[in-house]
Amino acid sequence: MTGMNIREAAESLRARRFSAVELTTAALSRVDHYNPRLQAFITVTAEHALDRARQADAELAAGRDRGPLHGIPIAVKDLFATRGVRTTAGSKVYEHFVPDADSTVVEKLEAAGAVMLGKLNMHELAYGITSANPHFGAVRNPWNLEHSPGGSSGGSGAAVAAGIVYAAMGSDTGGSIRIPAAFCGAVGLKPTYGRVSRYGVLPLGYSLDHMGPLTRSVRDAAMVLNAIAGYDRRDGTSSRRPVVDYVPDEGCGIRGVRIGFAENFFFDRLDGDVESAVRGAIARAESLGAAIKPVTVPDVAALNAVARVILLAEASAVMEPYMEPRSQFGADVLALLDQGRLVPAVDYVNAQRLRRRMQLEFSKLWAEVDCLCMPTTPNVAPVIGDTTVRLGGRDEDVRLASTRLVRGINALGLPALSLPCGLSGSGLPAGLQIVGPPFEEALILRIGAALEDGGVGIPPCPA
Amino acid sequence: MKDWKSIAKANGLVVSDRDLDRIVAPLEALEEAFRPLVKGLKAEHEPATAFCAGEEGE
Repeated sequence: MTGMNIREAAESLRARRFSAVELTTAALSRVDHYNPRLQAFITVTAEHALDRARQADAELAAGRDRGPLHGIPIAVKDLFATRGVRTTAGSKVYEHFVPDADSTVVEKLEAAGAVMLGKLNMHELAYGITSANPHFGAVRNPWNLEHSPGGSSGGSGAAVAAGIVYAAMGSDTGGSIRIPAAFCGAVGLKPTYGRVSRYGVLPLGYSLDHMGPLTRSVRDAAMVLNAIAGYDRRDGTSSRRPVVDYVPDEGCGIRGVRIGFAENFFFDRLDGDVESAVRGAIARAESLGAAIKPVTVPDVAALNAVARVILLAEASAVMEPYMEPRSQFGADVLALLDQGRLVPAVDYVNAQRLRRRMQLEFSKLWAEVDCLCMPTTPNVAPVIGDTTVRLGGRDEDVRLASTRLVRGINALGLPALSLPCGLSGSGLPAGLQIVGPPFEEALILRIGAALEDGGVGIPPCPA
Repeated sequence: MKDWKSIAKANGLVVSDRDLDRIVAPLEALEEAFRPLVKGLKAEHEPATAFCAGEEGE
């Protein structure tokens, strides 16, 4: 029963083929079995989960149906505030932080009937992409335990790929949903900035943080987005734009959809297996009737530099009160926090000016194409502990390489979906990234679902 | 090239030489990428301090 997608599990619950308690018990068994190796969870809330599952069963029996997530086991990255449950952000700083209220996302998931199994491991403070957490253990990739799951939402990627949960919430400041989705062979959705509330989520970069799901399928991601999207007056950057039904129809098509194929930047210096897989997925889109249009994108390397300046400054501002003792931080995170303290205010403001200018430049693309398709990462999951990766004949810092194709999208606030599109020769997943205009989540999810229906994907993880 | 060690000291960042060495190289690389971009800014380019991904004033 743990091999199904959300729709199949939801149908089975309503057909009484099994109960939410049985489904949750099976998921908790998988936690027991896999977590000692994967280190995906920091906290398991088994009692709470079983209580919620009993409630879900009772409600369904009484005719109260909260929708497709009703009775479905999920988990959240350990930076979403959970009332009465420790919320660490994978750090010593928040090691003993027990919130007295839920984040908006958790509130909405619980209102939708989801059963939360616990809090997921992550890169310390969400500030990195390996999820080799110095305090709670290195998360491991279910496809190969010697490899990183990516990050910073590494526990989310691992828990979904290992079939422990049907959906896991992540956050994405410079690729932290999409990178673990790509490395773990999961679907990851970073919605438009403002589409999903940031309220109650421990921040990393205020103007770059996005919340979204990692799931087993594109339609599952859409179902979760249906539950969590919408205006929240407690988040000052929350959009009032109305939400729509994000779940693609069965048999949805993409005939006539104009897919932009970037002739510059996004296909430079790629792992050969990643490039083949992504080009194969784009060819499949064309065979399904999409029009593949070559485009030249604005300077993404410059956009990445702008995003890095903004993140360095914002993250160091967030952590300024907590910098002592320095020994409470891992070396990589401490180095980034120190760098941010040396970014002048003038550079931060100028980065935000450049960001707006680049936003306008990118917005012109949407007159030519409906979306862009490119790899999520240029590489597959690196070996845990590797600091460089060899791409295009040169050694590249593994963090900069893994964020190269995703970071700029955060500065633009655009919706982006990563879905698995192939396996490398070494058996590690590659991700296709679909980026759309602001608030066009329904479009990129439809494209992703059509590709999934059309055979783009990978077999389930043999974990 | 900026003297990051002096800047760190002036900013009150009291850290070991080892920690300083760890932050100088990435800052220099970022500086190299970022500084030329700033030269292209004009006064009318306003910051995205109240950033919205959609239309203005949403």
